[in-house]
Amino acid sequence: MSATAPAAGRPPLQARSVFRRRLVNTAITSSAWLAAAIGIFVMGWIVYTVFTRGIGAWNLAFFTQLPPVGNDPGGGLANCIIGTLVITFGAAIVGLPLGFFGAIYLSEFGRAGRVATGIRAVTNIVLGVPSIIAGMFAYALLVLPRHHFSGFSASVALAFIMLPVMTRTAEDILNLVPNELRESALAMGAPRWKATLGVVVKAARGGLITGAILAVVRVAGETAPLLFTALSSQYWMGGLKGYFGGPTPNLTKTIFDLSQQPYSHLVQLAWGGALLIIVAVLGVNVVTRLLFQRGKEW
Amino acid sequence: MVDIMDRIDPGADNAVESERPLPPRLEVTPTGHDSATEFDALPSKLSVRDLDFFYGKQQALFDNHLEVKEHRVTAIIGPSGCGKSTHLRCYNRIYELYRDQKATGEVMLDGRNILASGTDLLSLRRRVGMIFQKPSPFPMTVFDNIAYGLRMHFKLSRSELSERVEDALKRGALWEEVKDKLKEPGLALSGGQQQRLCIARAIAAEPELILMDEPCSAIDPVGTAKIEELVSELKSSYTIALVTHNMQQAARVSDYTAFFFEGRIIEFGATSQIFENPAQKQTEDYITGRFG
Repeated sequence: MSATAPAAGRPPLQARSVFRRRLVNTAITSSAWLAAAIGIFVMGWIVYTVFTRGIGAWNLAFFTQLPPVGNDPGGGLANCIIGTLVITFGAAIVGLPLGFFGAIYLSEFGRAGRVATGIRAVTNIVLGVPSIIAGMFAYALLVLPRHHFSGFSASVALAFIMLPVMTRTAEDILNLVPNELRESALAMGAPRWKATLGVVVKAARGGLITGAILAVVRVAGETAPLLFTALSSQYWMGGLKGYFGGPTPNLTKTIFDLSQQPYSHLVQLAWGGALLIIVAVLGVNVVTRLLFQRGKEW
Repeated sequence: MVDIMDRIDPGADNAVESERPLPPRLEVTPTGHDSATEFDALPSKLSVRDLDFFYGKQQALFDNHLEVKEHRVTAIIGPSGCGKSTHLRCYNRIYELYRDQKATGEVMLDGRNILASGTDLLSLRRRVGMIFQKPSPFPMTVFDNIAYGLRMHFKLSRSELSERVEDALKRGALWEEVKDKLKEPGLALSGGQQQRLCIARAIAAEPELILMDEPCSAIDPVGTAKIEELVSELKSSYTIALVTHNMQQAARVSDYTAFFFEGRIIEFGATSQIFENPAQKQTEDYITGRFG
């Protein structure tokens, strides 16, 4: 039936072309598919290139030895792996709790108030600040006054990047918790802090943990903030003394340095480091998402 | 950013100042199967006087007067947005979670005005339990859900705690269904079971008054029947105030019914009288389905 029965006294309705509707539908669906395919193809290409070039560098020495001196053969990135882990961990210790409690303030207490709105605006701005600015901030704050680079200053720079990411993600996740759950906890006579930590945060825990890990992973591959802070080093970090007191070896800056070398085995070492970062980030992402998928209960 | 205020709407937008003439001040002496003298003889658990309520500058309740009689079920009915839930939410001051909501007037619980500033909210809410529209089990095991209020308000040994949890689940008509699932998450139960879990959780803390805000609207008919049966049993031990938009439910379970319209209590009386012989035209129109 192409036209509906005419209502009394009105002209019959003219049906729109089915052909045109189908054409538009096909066009829009295929452009969505095409865009997705291009994106995935490029990502796959990057991973494939890094994998084929980097896997050759992976051997026992890569994970256990210092980078080679000059153009000596062999060597590894063991000091950088440790350094990056320590710097990232340090950043997480500072950035995650601050972000978490900031998010609790925004979603549970400040809400639509003026202070919270201000904090939210600042957070959005900081979120968009280029990461090298975070490096300069830590440089001015910690490196200049003390006249030396340090892994700690790098952690501070990374925490500065992590903080808004964690705050916004955690706030979004806490906002997904239905108000009835908050009201139920308060209606049981729970004090506000207990309702928040014992019920609201607990309900959101899967998402919060995922958000925290993703915030950490987000900064693990940063290079720019390390240029003025950790710098890099050919040597072992030298324990906490090295972390607080001197240039600290790290993967990203070392990858950059090695990739500038004219010797192919050094460049290959850089590819190996790049592969390690990709595998670690991808691995942590996948594992977290699998483990905490049940966190989507709300 | 979604403002938290936008996510709940207990009828904020619908309560507009009515221009029609107000019904005469309520005579709180209903007639019906419970005779007027019987109503007067029953002690009031809660008396509402001159209650006004505001969402920001917008007034949602106007001069509410109501008596919630001890060991009786008082139903609050009315069309969507008439202020039923808003009214109920004054009884435990839960509205205070939202900053621009404000109530004025008197809500006397056992003769003391709970709206007064000195009221200890935590002990008030221990005495006044609440069940919400959507079942809201806490993200913990069945056992811990029930133990939540007990642990918070009382010093109990481990064995006393288990006893009381079991007792609350029995009174909540849920024990037979969950006695082997105490260690499972409360969210794993069915919707109807979750709601009875919430009822059991509320009664575990030994409240005196239980508020139910459309407790069956998210529950299937079988679950609804179980909850209604439970409500009838619970009134021997507790006082219950029930908001519902299901008139049959009000007729089935309640002893007294208040009809709300546009923030005002149009009529309050014995349930049989409200449903069989309403005094107000608006009540009759609503009951007979002419609007709402």
